[in-house]
Amino acid sequence: MRPRVFEETVLPHLDAAFNYARWLTRNEADAEDVVQDACVRAMRFFSSLRDDDARAWLFTIVRNAWYSRVSRKANVAEGTRLNDGQDQRPDNALDPEERLLQQHTVGLVRAALEQLPVDFREAIVLREIEGLSYREIAEVAGVPIGTVMSRLARARERLQTILKLNALSETLR
Amino acid sequence: MSCELVERDLDAYLDRELDAAALTAVREHVGTCAACRRQLAQRETLARLVRSAPYYSAPDRLRARVRASSQSHSVRRVLTWAAAAVLVLSVGAGMTLWRPGASRGDVIADDVVNGHVRSLMANHLFDVQSTDQHTVKPWFLGKLDFSPPVVDLTSSGFALVGGRLDYVGGRPVAALVYQRRKHTINVFVSPAGGDPSTSNVVLTVRGFNLRHWIHNGMSFWAVSDVNSAELGEFATALQAS
Repeated sequence: MRPRVFEETVLPHLDAAFNYARWLTRNEADAEDVVQDACVRAMRFFSSLRDDDARAWLFTIVRNAWYSRVSRKANVAEGTRLNDGQDQRPDNALDPEERLLQQHTVGLVRAALEQLPVDFREAIVLREIEGLSYREIAEVAGVPIGTVMSRLARARERLQTILKLNALSETLR
Repeated sequence: MSCELVERDLDAYLDRELDAAALTAVREHVGTCAACRRQLAQRETLARLVRSAPYYSAPDRLRARVRASSQSHSVRRVLTWAAAAVLVLSVGAGMTLWRPGASRGDVIADDVVNGHVRSLMANHLFDVQSTDQHTVKPWFLGKLDFSPPVVDLTSSGFALVGGRLDYVGGRPVAALVYQRRKHTINVFVSPAGGDPSTSNVVLTVRGFNLRHWIHNGMSFWAVSDVNSAELGEFATALQAS
């Protein structure tokens, strides 16, 4: 293994780190702060990068940086977790087919993802957008693989409900 | 297999996390059970929708800030550990030029990752940008002493987006660029003759997944940050084409 240089190891994953942080925080400025903080930590702990999975390693550091921020602002953390059960938006009047087929799909998907509890949202983003395996997600989130699986299943159930996919595919049958 | 079991395994099935036996069981059940097939279709629609969600790239100012703090971090360290750092740097430089421990295969894998990173960072992904294999393939004519096989794999979920010339192991190679969701896959193709590494290699280098195989006398190196299973799927699709 050649000597690793921080810039050539970590900077290629900066977009992924930012995307992940942006979905965790749901906010551009917070995401920038989290990633900046994470990169400073990554520099400091660079020698702790033992295996070659720099991307998952960076995700883990981003998550820790984010977590210490929300713990500092304890009320934010409370809010993030408390909306768990009652986060469905009021139904709007359009029928599901119309809602999905029109050009706002991307906006709807984003809104649906943003309503998910953060643990669910994180699992979906790491799996569907970043393509991490269950094992990698478990390591980043610091939970057992079984928890990752149940979070993903519940997140998808909930997204299907929010996006009215069940109704939609009945309509399209 | 019962519907309840399939329901339990549906997500792992879609996420390619099932072992071969469970995978076959789900596939067989879904083939005969309309209700489960419908559920699977819903999950697939959902996955497509979720992948259309915005991908937030790091703003340039953040990249610049991180780079600056990385440089000042190194400067501080060099000042603090001047003597040690000089030693480390010279050993490091020596290792880069002359690595007795590294096999040629490692060097090539390293080159492949460097080529991939360079193409993403320097914004030099293509010399020829086209989703049409009949545009990309002739572009290499006269630029290389071999003709790389070029196929679009959009139907398998890997869209061809272009190609360029690159260098791996000190020789010019054809770099083909594919897109999977928001992720880029680079494939470096050259005649297998000069490639001493064994075929069908799967490895991870600096957070990127790599696959190497030899097919019809050509050596292929695929590199990406898509997960290893998906890169394997890509390799299979490319070999089957």
